[in-house]
Amino acid sequence: MLISYNWLRELTNTSLSPQKLRDRLTMVGLAIDAVEMHADDSVLDVEVPSNRPDCLSHVGIAREVTVIERKELVLPEPRSVKMAGRSADLTSVEIKDPDLCPRYAARLVRGVKIGPSPDWLVKRLEAIGQRPINNVADITNYVLHEVGQPLHAFDFHRLSGRRIVVRRAAHGEKLRTLDGLDRELSEDMLVIADAEKAVALAGIMGGEDSEISDRTTDVLIESAYFDPNSVRRTARRLGMDTEASRRFERGADREHVLRAQARCVELICELAGGVATEDAIDVYPQPFVSRVVEFRPERVKGLTSLNVKTDEMVRILTGLGFKSDYFPLEKFTAEVPSWRIDVDQEEDLVEEIARHSGYDQIASELPPSNIPGEYQPTEMKQRSLRRALNACGYDEAITFSFITREEQFELIPALNAEAQTELKNPIIEGATWMRSSLLPGLLNSLRHNLNHGIRDVRLFEIGRVFGVSSDGELPEEPLALTMIATGAAVEENKAQADRELDFFDVKGALEAAVDWMNLSPLVFAGTTAKHLRAGQAAVIKRADGVAIGTLGRLAEAVASAYKFRQPVYVMELDLGSLLSGPERGIQYSPLPRYPSVMRDISLLLNRTVALDEILSAVRNQGVADCRNVMLVGTFAGANIPPDKRSVTLRLEYRSDERTLRDEEVEERHSQLTSSLLQTFGAEQR
Amino acid sequence: MTENQPALTPERQVEAARKAFDEDIERFVRFCDPAQLAQADLETAVAEERAFAEVRARHLGKKSELAAAKKSIGRVAADMRPAFGQLVRSHEEAMVQQVELIEASLKEHIEAQRTARESIDVTMPGRRPRSGHRHPITLLRERIEDIFVALGYAIEDDREIETDFYNFDALNIPDHHPARASQDTFYTTEGFALRTQTSTVQIHAMQRRGVPVRMIAPGRVFRRDTPDPTHNPMFFQVEGLCVDRGITMAHLKGTVAEFLRRMFGPDTVTRFRPSYFPFTEPSAEFDFSCFKCKGSGCRICKNSGWIELGGSGMVHPNVLRAVGVDPQVYSGFAFGLGIDRMCALMYELDDIRLLFENDVRFLEQFE
Ligand SMILES: [Zn+2]
Repeated sequence: MLISYNWLRELTNTSLSPQKLRDRLTMVGLAIDAVEMHADDSVLDVEVPSNRPDCLSHVGIAREVTVIERKELVLPEPRSVKMAGRSADLTSVEIKDPDLCPRYAARLVRGVKIGPSPDWLVKRLEAIGQRPINNVADITNYVLHEVGQPLHAFDFHRLSGRRIVVRRAAHGEKLRTLDGLDRELSEDMLVIADAEKAVALAGIMGGEDSEISDRTTDVLIESAYFDPNSVRRTARRLGMDTEASRRFERGADREHVLRAQARCVELICELAGGVATEDAIDVYPQPFVSRVVEFRPERVKGLTSLNVKTDEMVRILTGLGFKSDYFPLEKFTAEVPSWRIDVDQEEDLVEEIARHSGYDQIASELPPSNIPGEYQPTEMKQRSLRRALNACGYDEAITFSFITREEQFELIPALNAEAQTELKNPIIEGATWMRSSLLPGLLNSLRHNLNHGIRDVRLFEIGRVFGVSSDGELPEEPLALTMIATGAAVEENKAQADRELDFFDVKGALEAAVDWMNLSPLVFAGTTAKHLRAGQAAVIKRADGVAIGTLGRLAEAVASAYKFRQPVYVMELDLGSLLSGPERGIQYSPLPRYPSVMRDISLLLNRTVALDEILSAVRNQGVADCRNVMLVGTFAGANIPPDKRSVTLRLEYRSDERTLRDEEVEERHSQLTSSLLQTFGAEQR
Repeated sequence: MTENQPALTPERQVEAARKAFDEDIERFVRFCDPAQLAQADLETAVAEERAFAEVRARHLGKKSELAAAKKSIGRVAADMRPAFGQLVRSHEEAMVQQVELIEASLKEHIEAQRTARESIDVTMPGRRPRSGHRHPITLLRERIEDIFVALGYAIEDDREIETDFYNFDALNIPDHHPARASQDTFYTTEGFALRTQTSTVQIHAMQRRGVPVRMIAPGRVFRRDTPDPTHNPMFFQVEGLCVDRGITMAHLKGTVAEFLRRMFGPDTVTRFRPSYFPFTEPSAEFDFSCFKCKGSGCRICKNSGWIELGGSGMVHPNVLRAVGVDPQVYSGFAFGLGIDRMCALMYELDDIRLLFENDVRFLEQFE
């Protein structure tokens, strides 16, 4: 809100420069964004907190300034005006909806001469960014900016029946407002009406029909208090934001209605001529009851650590308009001024005293501590996870939690529902659904990269995915880990890579991460999943057999929907479940005392036989002194039939009692070999 | 020389051996001349070295002429023997000296050639797969967590879709507060809110842990802002809460100042200004002295020397009451700040939409 320095000086006799005022007001909670020169005036742009509508006026700001400077507020003196007749004899006011309009006062000025405002008034308004219109309209605007009370002037003769009815609009009732727009109203909107029709949107804007014009002679000055929620709702619904609505929405001072009106009437009589009625019609169905707050001065020290003398507290509270006899001084009650809608308990008064004593006077110290700090239980594992994936070349991504509807992805087992939680009021077009998978977000990010010519991309994200609410319960929010990889196995500082990434790069990175987290190794098994290409899809299980996610190559249908023209590998799992899975125990075993003998074996068998099956077959044989089996490699193509492959294993034989003799190893190895050949119908190569 | 040829005198024998040596060694003498040596490439030098080893063995080895001559000393008259010995020694010494000279020269040459040939370009890239990078939000979140754990805080976390109770009611946000409007807050079709601030975790944490409590809660929050260079409808905040007996604003100031010093450097100055938040009373916004210009004014601080960072205050008694804590016995402070905003400040991001676009060229600029 713009405040004129010259105007403020009239109300405060401030001796502070505009720059000094800027600093001092900022430090009492009225931040000044800028101070700008306007002719011979300086204009302060004040950021008024939403709970301080009383500061949306020059008097409101002036009150703070006088407390800062230990001065007195200089309010404009009431002036005597020509008066004749009683308002009640000339018009009437009826409030049909007192819940939305607790007070309405009307007063007339007859015989005005509409014309331009005097220079001083024009200058004042222009300094604070207001456009002068005519003397009467300008005066209502002036008083609004002076004391914060929105006023409205009606051309009295345009009011049908010469009366005011405050009521809810009829369904579909129409009103052309002062901005020239035709508004269609609804039943929950409050209007000011005459005998026939709506003539103003209560607390927001007047109607064009009863607008002050050059021909206007008699004006009715409205000064009222409207329900903040009603004004806010109506203004929002109609997309309006006016000087009046801004003040009523936050809460005006209903006790100030008559004084503001009198000030307006005085200025009209002075600047536009005319004769005022002797009094106002003041309909006040819901009189204001001032709040009383109990206050113990010791709470100031208790909450802020400030040592403020009690007479200083009294000075601050009094200066801000609080009333009290300050007795007994240890615990007194203070009456909250009608304009301070924000104050209703002791802590609020503590804040008043603290901000005017200065937050910079508050000491700065750490609280004594007897509680140890702690991370989230899985934080260190998650840090290891991130670092492991970084080491494997994966960049961490963060994508929006809302996405377009996605039904083509197999979800993690924790989200058994297929449905997604929908947003009632999305902001990004199409992003209407809470994600149930991180894949769509990451695949979009991949597409973004590919579109920018980056084809080697490895990303992962850790984030919540959302289930769907059932029976009014909040939806589930399990934590997911998702990886995507495509392009070449690039090396640091090299332009060209030796090979393209594949399934086993993603699998290997995930396994590395599991090792870094000291969790038991995962188990992978072939599976089918709707977003994964058949034959390159795995289900991921914890060591204890619990399925937690899937890994594989993105199915062609999904890839082409994203316009990917290179293979993309994706992995998604339930991270919460992974983190709560069994840890890898550390158990020392003594180093071997006798040498090992290694023997390789190459088996030619059906491609459908999984390595895991062969390895477990070896382990299950229980061949004496066979200590370990590892893959040497697989081979296919050349002279091997297409449905077969050759698998070479290396077996380690060792005894704890003695060095094995060659014949012993040979015997054991051939026993194992023939058993494997038989089990898998394999040939030896 | 054969058995049946007339035997030469031992002296002649020595002379003959010397002469044969001189003839054989002649082609190797050039290797003592650096200029000539330089012309021999590695392969030639190695072959010559091998050939030279044979020459040496032939003339100085156990089966050489010279060795045979030495054995013939018996045939030398007794009085001539010292002179003969002298003769043999002088020849032998001269031959050995020359051989060693050539040998050393060749060896050095070969070594130098080999070294040159096997030298590597140490500026070639080290062999390692491309490294990935943590997201800048994670970098900051981890730093913030480390600082507060060191200050005795627990890290808390909770839901992102919330009931009105946690997102508004318990935080003393009035029924008609604009924040509740669907203009500012996302709602699901079931009427739940996407949390608009991590303050929700204050409530969960106090319900779970009771008081006293010290915790921070970093996390995602949502507000209905259209994405532009300075807004995102989703961003990251960290909320802090400390409730105990005798907690005052001095503790709030001390804690925030300590955090900002650890975050932005020991010279960082913090400033508190009165402000308004429904969930705190008294409330304060805090600014810190610009880390870039140290207060003299620059683009980052909009020439004010101060950077606005977050909101804070003493926990509103209604918030304490909402979780069954007696505000007459306990008091506490709370603060909140935007991680995205800090990120934008620290790395001078000109467009915060970059944070969630996940352009690899952006991500790889961080750690
Ligand atoms: Zn700066």
